Amino acid sequence: MNLNYSDEQVMLREQIQKFCETEYDFYKREDIVKSNDDFDSNVWNLFAEQGWLSMPFSEQSGGLGFGPIELSILFEEFGKALVIEPYLSTVVLAGSLLDNSTFSSKNDLIEQICSGELHISLAYAEAGKGYDYLTPNTSIDKKGLLNGTKTLVLNGANSDKLIVACNRDNIFNLIILDTKTDGVSLNSFSTVDGQSCSEISFENVQLDETNIIAYGDEAISLIKDSLNLATLCVSAEAVGCMESCYLKTLQYTKDREQFGQPISSFQVLQHRMVDMFIESELAKSLLIKAMLEVNNRSDDMYKHVSALKSYIGTSGKLSAKEAVQLHGGMGVSEEMMIGHYLKKMISIDALFGNADYHLKQSGK
Amino acid sequence: MRPYSINQIKYIKKNIMNINFSDEDLAFRDEVREWLSNDYPQHVREKTEKGITISKEDLIDFHKALSKKGWMGYNWPVEFGGTGWSASKLYIFNKELGLAGCPPILPFGVGMVGPVIYTFGNDEQKERFLPDILEFNTWWCQGYSEPGSGSDLASLKTKAVLRNDLDEDYYVVNGSKTWTTLAQNADWIFCLVRTDNSGIKQEGISFLLIDMKSPGIEVKPIITIDGDHEVNSVFFTDVKVPAKNLIGEEGKGWTYAKFLLAHERFGIAGVGASMRSLNRLKEIISKLDNDDLQRKANELEVALSAIEITELRLLSALENGGHPGAESSILKIKGTEMQQALSELFVEASGEYALMYPGPHGYENNDKPAGPDFAAEGLSAFLNMRKTSIYGGSNEIQKNILSKFVLGV
Repeated sequence: MNLNYSDEQVMLREQIQKFCETEYDFYKREDIVKSNDDFDSNVWNLFAEQGWLSMPFSEQSGGLGFGPIELSILFEEFGKALVIEPYLSTVVLAGSLLDNSTFSSKNDLIEQICSGELHISLAYAEAGKGYDYLTPNTSIDKKGLLNGTKTLVLNGANSDKLIVACNRDNIFNLIILDTKTDGVSLNSFSTVDGQSCSEISFENVQLDETNIIAYGDEAISLIKDSLNLATLCVSAEAVGCMESCYLKTLQYTKDREQFGQPISSFQVLQHRMVDMFIESELAKSLLIKAMLEVNNRSDDMYKHVSALKSYIGTSGKLSAKEAVQLHGGMGVSEEMMIGHYLKKMISIDALFGNADYHLKQSGK
Repeated sequence: MRPYSINQIKYIKKNIMNINFSDEDLAFRDEVREWLSNDYPQHVREKTEKGITISKEDLIDFHKALSKKGWMGYNWPVEFGGTGWSASKLYIFNKELGLAGCPPILPFGVGMVGPVIYTFGNDEQKERFLPDILEFNTWWCQGYSEPGSGSDLASLKTKAVLRNDLDEDYYVVNGSKTWTTLAQNADWIFCLVRTDNSGIKQEGISFLLIDMKSPGIEVKPIITIDGDHEVNSVFFTDVKVPAKNLIGEEGKGWTYAKFLLAHERFGIAGVGASMRSLNRLKEIISKLDNDDLQRKANELEVALSAIEITELRLLSALENGGHPGAESSILKIKGTEMQQALSELFVEASGEYALMYPGPHGYENNDKPAGPDFAAEGLSAFLNMRKTSIYGGSNEIQKNILSKFVLGV
């Protein structure tokens, strides 16, 4: 047993931290959020140049062959800096799904993802289906026409291609198509944490066999693994947020003086910050467990990811709410970073099954 | 090229992180399980399985069986007759005993005074006391808290005055200790006593070993809210204690006391025993078809897993040469909260039968139990477990420790 990060993993974390500190501070992030673009293409190109976009892909597909542990490190650091670039949608959700598939042109697509040229979104969700992503109403008819509406497609507005979960003769299918295909229409909006997502309708979109990535059990296992990895990633992001909430609150209470002394000298605040620290450490523990189980592809990996997701859904929101409270009026000011962690935690809890949903899954 | 490239990070040993125990550790786990099924005293097992409180004799049998196997010194170095186990073996040992429902190993001898004696005691004291601890010939108890000194332990007043009569050096001890666990069974007590009042309060404290049969010692039971007699008041009236029973130097007792507290960090979270409780609860709840209880059990399962991995992280850091810091305070706080929450869920699962309480020893007199058979045991545990967030430095004191050493405020 060894639960310590290796020297290489520590180095990886340091590189990401260095980037976030020098090129992606809160003001830079705010500029991106307030701009007309959903993300910064210069940053994205930088990600490509530095090898970040190649991280999780197998070496056969031209990737660096890193796994869930390294992705977790990346997302923890993304969480601390509240990075909003669409890494989750293009690289994790769509990219890893393609990488695991036997789709004929996957190597070309992954190469284009790695170089930063291509964005792909995974359209997994539908209105009224809750967190059930495996029984879509969107379907392909006998003539090969796709009809239906997918919802909450992350980064849909910026994607060149879409991977769509749909139904054909009551069999689950994953298909890929160009966003600009006739019959595809998008209604895009921004998310609580500054990202963008779309509702996407398909009206008699003509498909043929070349659009099909996989169907049946293979397709189900591809999307389950992709969503599981994405759930791990956003949970790691939440763990990063929780650590930042604790550390930033601690610093703020040391600097802020009232009644002639730093407010960190008050025991009632100290104990609340101790609780934030403890929750952050316990969440880290569940992250380590889950990422190692996913890395080993153990039978229980879904269960452990669910345990993690339910835990950070509850305790992550709690930490962020405490952080806002302990910052006083500054906590609810848009110009301060701290309140944005709360919005991030709301969005993470809502993605891929909230705390209640995953708590049930973890007990199965 | 900007300096964030990861292209140059090449793995020498990929996936070095892993959560699996080594083959050696797994073989050890099997050895512990074998001992549990063959040599763990059967009559003790039967009682713990039925939730019947075990007697003094049962506890002695249990410890003697461990001693026979050579495992009594589970946390001691080999040179003093201990096992010299690695942190992971210690962890496995504690977890397996907990999972099997063994009573907790009494910490006062082997976990507390023993390490103080072999670290700070002289050769004569080591020879005199250590073998009896390892063979469980001596039952120790702990004389720390006093009626006026709980969390503020250093304010303790029990006084020891050095005298000399007929060339014999001895202390005369006067005062009282309280919350003394199982003092009614104890042969010896290790005490923090005040030998000096002149300086700051921590510097006038000494560490003294006292024979419980000494004239002038009186033990009075304190009955706790579960109705059981576990803790006591111990009164000292002109008790004569040979000066050779002083550990280390006079006035250094506080240092030894802090060492002792830091020493007992493994198994502090009680993960194995909590897992056993949780497994039983899950079994009970699965038959009740109650979503609310099921949800609470799921929550506890997730939280217990978080505690377990936190303990393993600490252990892993130790095995890689790290130094444990305030993490043991996290484990104390969360481990005891878990024990309390589990016992409370037993009570909730009893429904209206939580009303019935036959006392701490269950229905051992063949009264026909009304309601589910786990109800009495659950309530007894619930009431008894309130102590866990109070003892060993209350959880609020643990948070003060974390404030100081982690928050730095």
